[in-house]
Amino acid sequence: MLVIGRKKGESILIGDDIEITVVKLDDGQVKLAISAPKEVLVLRKELYREVEEENMNAVAKNIDILKNIKR
Amino acid sequence: MILKLLSKYHGAINYEEKDIINFPAGIPGFEKLKKFIISGISGSPEFSILHSIEDTQVGLIITSPFIFKKDYEIDLPDYITSNLGIEKPEQVTIYTTVTLSSSIENITSNFSAPIIINEELKLGEQYIMDGGKYAVRYPLFKEGK
Repeated sequence: MLVIGRKKGESILIGDDIEITVVKLDDGQVKLAISAPKEVLVLRKELYREVEEENMNAVAKNIDILKNIKR
Repeated sequence: MILKLLSKYHGAINYEEKDIINFPAGIPGFEKLKKFIISGISGSPEFSILHSIEDTQVGLIITSPFIFKKDYEIDLPDYITSNLGIEKPEQVTIYTTVTLSSSIENITSNFSAPIIINEELKLGEQYIMDGGKYAVRYPLFKEGK
């Protein structure tokens, strides 16, 4: 893993076509500008974790409840 | 040739080679599982099971979000259409995962992360939407419905 220090306005490049720029620093929070090709997925990690959790919740051991739904 | 999957929780499921949907990236939480089939649930036409054929314990309950929200809509990003080889809308089927509960009003579906399937190429991927347009836990059976 690369750990690197950057100041406001500085960037890092990943590969040929991804650029991440530090736009703003403010009391423990950093604002980044990410420029990447449209086919590249850029995602906040906590969203991925949330979907992971819901997917695990969707694994049902007992589906009898579905029989009781009135239509 | 008919193949048989012995699901740990849902009994024997028959399928054919051509029914297998490949998820090259896996799905979040089950990244190592790449091959799934979709099996109907008798008596519950709105729901199906997305079952791994590589792990007999993993069967996710899924539904079509359009049944429960008629105006559900998504704009597929380029990385999804490119990963799944999607060229026209007719190739695409969309499902969302369902979390069951003993009380019906607590049954929810993850409308913010639809599972996109190219039926022609039998390729699938879960699209995680950013921006909060739809709820992660959208209640399917609201009061008074």
